[in-house]
Order: sequence, then C-alpha cells, then structure tokens
Amino acid sequence: MRLYFLALGTLLIVCVGCATDGQQVLKKNEYHAPPAEMLVRPGPMVGGPGPGVMLASAEMPAGPAGPIGPGGPGYSGGPYGYPGGEYCPEGPGPYGPPAAYAAPRTSQIRFLGPEGMSVGWQIGPGFAENQLMAPDRYNFPQAATYRLKFSHIPGREGLVVYPSLHVYPTHPTTAAYLEHNALPLRITDEDLDQVETNNFVTKVIYLPDAKYQELAIAGVEELVSTRLAPGLDPVSEADRRGTIMAVLRMGNMDLEMPGSAPPAHIGQGSSQPQSVQQTSHIVQVDGEMGQFVPPVPIGGTPSVLVPGVPADVMVGGPAGPGQPPYDPIVGVSGVPMYGYPTTGTPIGLAGPPHIPLGRPAGLKSHTMRNTTDFNVGKPVDHMLIDVRHEPGISMPDPAKYIQYTEKHPVYQQGEVSMPAFGG
Amino acid sequence: MRPIVLTITALLLSATAWSPAFAQNGYYYPYSHRQATGVNGRVSALTRPAIVHAIQPVRVSLPTEGRITFYAGSPDNAQVQSTPAQPGMVPGHVYRLRISDMPEFPGVELYPTIELLDRLHPPQGLAQEFPIPIEITEEEIEIALRDQMVTKVIYLEQPDLANPIQQVGGVLTEDVRPTANLLQVADMKGRPMAILRIGGRIPDRHSATDEFYSRSPLFWNRGP
Repeated sequence: MRLYFLALGTLLIVCVGCATDGQQVLKKNEYHAPPAEMLVRPGPMVGGPGPGVMLASAEMPAGPAGPIGPGGPGYSGGPYGYPGGEYCPEGPGPYGPPAAYAAPRTSQIRFLGPEGMSVGWQIGPGFAENQLMAPDRYNFPQAATYRLKFSHIPGREGLVVYPSLHVYPTHPTTAAYLEHNALPLRITDEDLDQVETNNFVTKVIYLPDAKYQELAIAGVEELVSTRLAPGLDPVSEADRRGTIMAVLRMGNMDLEMPGSAPPAHIGQGSSQPQSVQQTSHIVQVDGEMGQFVPPVPIGGTPSVLVPGVPADVMVGGPAGPGQPPYDPIVGVSGVPMYGYPTTGTPIGLAGPPHIPLGRPAGLKSHTMRNTTDFNVGKPVDHMLIDVRHEPGISMPDPAKYIQYTEKHPVYQQGEVSMPAFGG
Repeated sequence: MRPIVLTITALLLSATAWSPAFAQNGYYYPYSHRQATGVNGRVSALTRPAIVHAIQPVRVSLPTEGRITFYAGSPDNAQVQSTPAQPGMVPGHVYRLRISDMPEFPGVELYPTIELLDRLHPPQGLAQEFPIPIEITEEEIEIALRDQMVTKVIYLEQPDLANPIQQVGGVLTEDVRPTANLLQVADMKGRPMAILRIGGRIPDRHSATDEFYSRSPLFWNRGP
C-alpha cells in the first residue's frame, strides 16, 4: 500500500512538473520587466541610455518636432460634409496616427520683475548685455545651466547680480504644463537685500504634487532658501513636494571684475585651468544696440574634484556647446557603448559586455598570450615602499549589507479599466 | 436627438495622481489627463486605426467675441476665424490655437491646445449639426493669465447616467478635486472626446516657433 501511494505521488509530481514550470504555478502568465525608469539606465547607479527602450522622440522624423506631433501625409477631401476641405495638406491618402510624443525641449522662463531690470546672459567667455527687459520671457533649452546677468535694477543703481539658472529637463509629470505655461520668475526686494548682505539665495520653481496642493486652483510654486527654516534645503524640499522645473541660485560674486580673468568655471571648457582671456576674443554684445545672442550653457565639469558647475543629466536636446548630444545614441558621437564596462581588463582593453540589470556575468576565463621575444631585464619580484600618515587614519566600519527592495504594482487581465478611446 | 456633452475641469494639473491609480471600482486606470499632450490621442489612434480616417467637426467658442487662429504646420498656415469657429479635426491629433481680440481681455492672446480623442457618430450627412463643443470661458482665461493651467476633458454623456435636466446656457461644466483623474471621471460618466489645455505660454519672439505650432490636418467646410 505504501509503495502504491509513493508511486502515485511520483507520477503526480512528474506530470505536473512536465506541464508547468514554477512560475505558472505561482503566478500564471505573469512576467515582469524592470520599470521603464530602470530600463533607460544601463544598471543601478549607472547613467546613460539602456537597451530596448527607444527614447520618446526617437520615432520622430528628423527636423524640429515639437510637443505636438506632425501630421501624416495629406488627405484628399473626405466625408462628413467636407467636400475637399479648404485646407488640404499635400499628398494622397488618409492620415496615419499622429507621431509619437516628443517632450518639449525648452522651458519658457518669464522674468516678471523688478520691472525695468535688464537680463543678460553668458555667451562663452563674455556676457551678452541687456538681452531682455523685465517683464519679458525667453525659451531656454532644457537640461542645462545658464549664467544670467541682472543689471539696471530699479532702485539699486550699480548693483549687478550674476545668478545661475538651472533649467531641468521635462518630466512626464511636467510635460503638459511646460507645453502650455511659462515659469514665472520674480526677483523681489527681499532677494536683493539678501544678496547685498552676503547671503546666498536659492529659488526653486516646481510643480507640486496634487496631495500638496492647498487650493483647488494651483499652479507652480516657489521655494526660496531665505524663507525656509535653517537647515532645510529648498531643492530637496521642492523635490519632495513635487517636480522641479528650474532652480535659480544668486549670490553677490562679481564675475566681471576689471583686471581679472573670469573664473575658469564660468567659461566654456570649464575643465581647463584658469588662463588669461584675450580680450579680442571676447565678443561684446549689447541688446540696446539691437544685438541678440542666445545664451550658452555653462557647466560640463567632468569631475567633482574640479570646481565649477557640474554637467547636467544626459537627455535629448539640441547639440551645442556645453550641452549633451541630441538624442544620444550608444556608440555614436562619443556616447559610450551600452553594456561596456569602464573597468579595464589586464590587457588594457574594455572588458566584455556585461549583462545588464544585475544579472550575473558568465565569463569564467580570460586568457591572452604574448609570444614576442624580449629582453628587458628581470622584473622586480618584490617591491617594498613604506609610507605612513601621522596621525593614522581611523574611520567607521564600512557598510557591508544593504537591503534595497522596490515594489511595483502588477495588474492582470480583468483588473484594468480601459477607456473607450483606449480600446 | 442632440448629444449631451459635459466637460470636467481641473484647475491645474498636478503630478502625483498621474501615477497608476485605482478607480473606485477597484480597476486600474492607465490613462490620465496629466500625461503629456498627445499621448492619449496617440493611444486612441493606435488602438483604433480607423478613427484617423474620420473628420470630426469641433466647435470652439470664446466668452463673447474674439478671433480664433488655427495652425496647420506653421504660423504661415494660420487660419483666422471669428468665434465660434467650427473646423474639422482628425481624432488622435493635437491642435494648437490662438485666441485673441477678446473685448474682456484687451491685448491678451493665449495658445490653448485641443487633443482630440474620439469622434461622434451622427446620422449620415448631419455631421456639421453635431460638433464637439469646446467652450473657453472667461474664468479659464483669467486662470491661465495667472500662470496657472486649466485642463478640461469634454466627454459624451452616457444616457443611462445623464442628469435628467435640460441642457441650457452652454455646456455643463463640473469642477473636480485636484487629485482626480479627469479622464477616469469622464470615462465613468460617458465617453471622453477631447482634452482642452490652456496656459500662459506664448511663442518666444527670440526662438524658433516650429516647436510650438501643431502640424495636424485641418478641414473647413465652406460649401453647402
């Protein structure tokens, strides 16, 4: 009898095991891809484009493609009372679906005041003066930092401020807003008082999350460092409350002191050491003379060890000085090939492509033989160098265990409500 | 019988509710009015390709008087109309308008967008009698001028769920709480037809404007 049940159990296990795998037993027809935010990166803590995910604008044809996708080919008349409509684009046939969404690549900054204040900006080693007069607006390309110049401030003769304006890239939560709204930026008397008293002012313009909206009617909100409690970082606080769209940092540093070269970090090629600027190469641009030059982003500091404005995150956008490439393509125009580690192998070349997203690598052996005749003397087999710090180094024990868990919702058939237009 | 169309307005988009959310009935609703302009329309066109062969009349009107400019490709293809204007639009596409010359707002011009999600099915030959009504109110313009954003979802009311009242004085508009998903609310009450978004951004005189204007096809019915 015992043998009978043992045989029956074995048969059951074999049959079930052949018909299903473990996943189907637990979660039938359920497969999980990493979140899109994770897929666009090569791996944890590593930036750059990832595999298998085309950028939103990658499907767009070449040329200026804005927030509103281009239409398809022409439509030759049509039903519903439009006998050859008055406006018919060229080309035969019906329209196809609209092109894929392309995020706006500029953010419109609206300088509200003080009214009459002149706004200039850095263009390479020099500044373009008086390009705007508040109130006015300008479309700044995103994902870049600009050095502005506020001058002719009413009531503050002689005061010139050189703030930096960091324009954040479009986020899915801010795309619609940036397509339809300008970001209001007003420099108040309080801000200027703080600057004149050697204080540093940070203004963060962000779109608050719904749960942080106090009123039914809401728009962008602004956090100013001088109005926060001591110790609070306005950028972190704004990031907690919503999505940041622009950050203005303002101090009283004079970047155009006579007789001194501009600091290295305000010019292009900020990684270069400070050097003498030839005045003949500095372009003088003044808006009052009808001259207009678009701002040139600053930044691009490649290392935290070099002072200056750090480079922005890699996003698609118009290529230009100090800007990332237009829709970076892996392996093209200096963009690193996806999956290639930067860690060198013993032969000085990049190692084999790793499997992304934390899967284990399969390489177990790597052999390279050099059969060249040589006579360069015997190598040193034992080298001894004594070094010593006084006092000695004493640091806390490093972390040896981190548990990081992300949970993502999973919806199966029957749990999703689709609108009529969504099929 | 004229279809009853209601609108739902959200006075500015907020960010978080864009994230996946469950409806009250426990179902996951993947679409939101907070998604970038054009995303929902593209979904509509991709899931039902035949819809882009239709030309849907859309009636755009201002509070009292004014001009409405439609763009097809660039500012050079501007079609200036007096309010109300009724062009034919293709579902799935997004259209940028300019509203100006309004006596209540002298010197003001705004550039709202219309994202057409779906089409109506009127009796044969009567399409012009059943346009999708999009009314831009004075209050919405005032909000946009304060650097805030108005998002309005226009939907076709489901007869079983319709309020038993006669529709007079224009389209009924209902304000919802800031955290609500307008598309979800409209979908529960009927069939979402279009999304209207109004903000204060205008073309930058220093920048190229190709990014700003729509290239979607427009049709005008001038004949009988």
